[in-house]
Amino acid sequence: MAKETPQDKSTNQILIEQLMLNVGKISAIIEKQGQSIFGHKNLLSNNEINDYSLEFLELLTMLLHAGEKVDRRGAEYKALRQFFANFSQQIQVRGGDMDEFVRYVHFLQSTFLENLETDKSVSFEKSREILLLLGMIFNDIILEVFHIYLESKEKTIQAQQEELKQTSTPITEIWDGVLTLPIIGSLDSSRTMIVMEKLLSRIESDRARVVVIDVTGVMAIDSQVSHHLIQMIRATGLMGATAILTGIRPEIARALTSLNIDLSSVTTRSKLSEGLKEAFRQLSIEVSRPGK
Amino acid sequence: MIEGIHLTPIGDGNVLLEPGEGLDPSNPEAMVAPVLDFLQHNEANRLVYDLKSVRLIDEVYYAWLTKLNATCRIANVEMVTVNMQPAAAYALSLTLNQTPPFTCALNIHHLR
Repeated sequence: MAKETPQDKSTNQILIEQLMLNVGKISAIIEKQGQSIFGHKNLLSNNEINDYSLEFLELLTMLLHAGEKVDRRGAEYKALRQFFANFSQQIQVRGGDMDEFVRYVHFLQSTFLENLETDKSVSFEKSREILLLLGMIFNDIILEVFHIYLESKEKTIQAQQEELKQTSTPITEIWDGVLTLPIIGSLDSSRTMIVMEKLLSRIESDRARVVVIDVTGVMAIDSQVSHHLIQMIRATGLMGATAILTGIRPEIARALTSLNIDLSSVTTRSKLSEGLKEAFRQLSIEVSRPGK
Repeated sequence: MIEGIHLTPIGDGNVLLEPGEGLDPSNPEAMVAPVLDFLQHNEANRLVYDLKSVRLIDEVYYAWLTKLNATCRIANVEMVTVNMQPAAAYALSLTLNQTPPFTCALNIHHLR
């Protein structure tokens, strides 16, 4: 029986043999590099790095054993991708950079290629096939990890935006029955909904009679923002409270005029302090200095 | 007795209107006359409409409120709504294009 030459073997077989023959050497290199990338920031302990390296080699071998052609929908391929997904998530959770992880994945690929170079029996044709195979696997892994990274970043941004919306509109009971609502930034539909919901609940729970809405922090106003402001004032009125609009800067006033927004039915004052005085006047509250 | 409406004189010319389950706002004509009759009989000068149990004020319900208010005005009775729920106020403010013709107060203790 003739001996099988590397040229007769499939790409997978060659890679499996390379792995079997040099598993100790490859895993040692991978572990060492893993420690240099993840160890210095204490992202992973040595034991974790060793476990991950061994698991990776095991999953890769299983994938190569699964068939001549790598099946992207196969369980082995999914398991390898899942492994890297979990791995990258752990690195992210511990404050690691994406760059470090991608560098590590590239390193894994180059380790196999370097190992292949030492085997002179593998033809150029086979080397090319192996290179393509490894390229496909590792590129897929990087893409998968990149998607996970983006998803996680998007979730973080969304959570931060939500938090900002919740905290950027502090409604304060500045006096018995008087609420102040400073609006900073822009007022889009989703923010209006949150602000109105909070404001109307506070009117009900605090039994507020006057709400001073201060727009000093509103940098620009368009028809949508002014419409939302009017809605807010109207809803306040429906609850039985009076709204006083303060802090309308000259440029905002000019914009409102050019947008044909009629604020004649709304009580307005130049400053928050003037608004507060008006609220006191409406509630028949007199504030005087002691001794006067 | 008006179906779906409970009317109580609460003193000082005020009459409290509490809508119940049986109120049909789509048919205001059938209800305004008996309400006005009650108000005049009790020499009321203010109708206090309690919206505590009204979760949503849609166009039909709003039309009923404005119709009732218009009738009250003819009879020189002021209509004031009280206890409008935050969710109802929010939803109504989205559909309104103008200030409602009736007075709104936070609750019965805040009537001016």
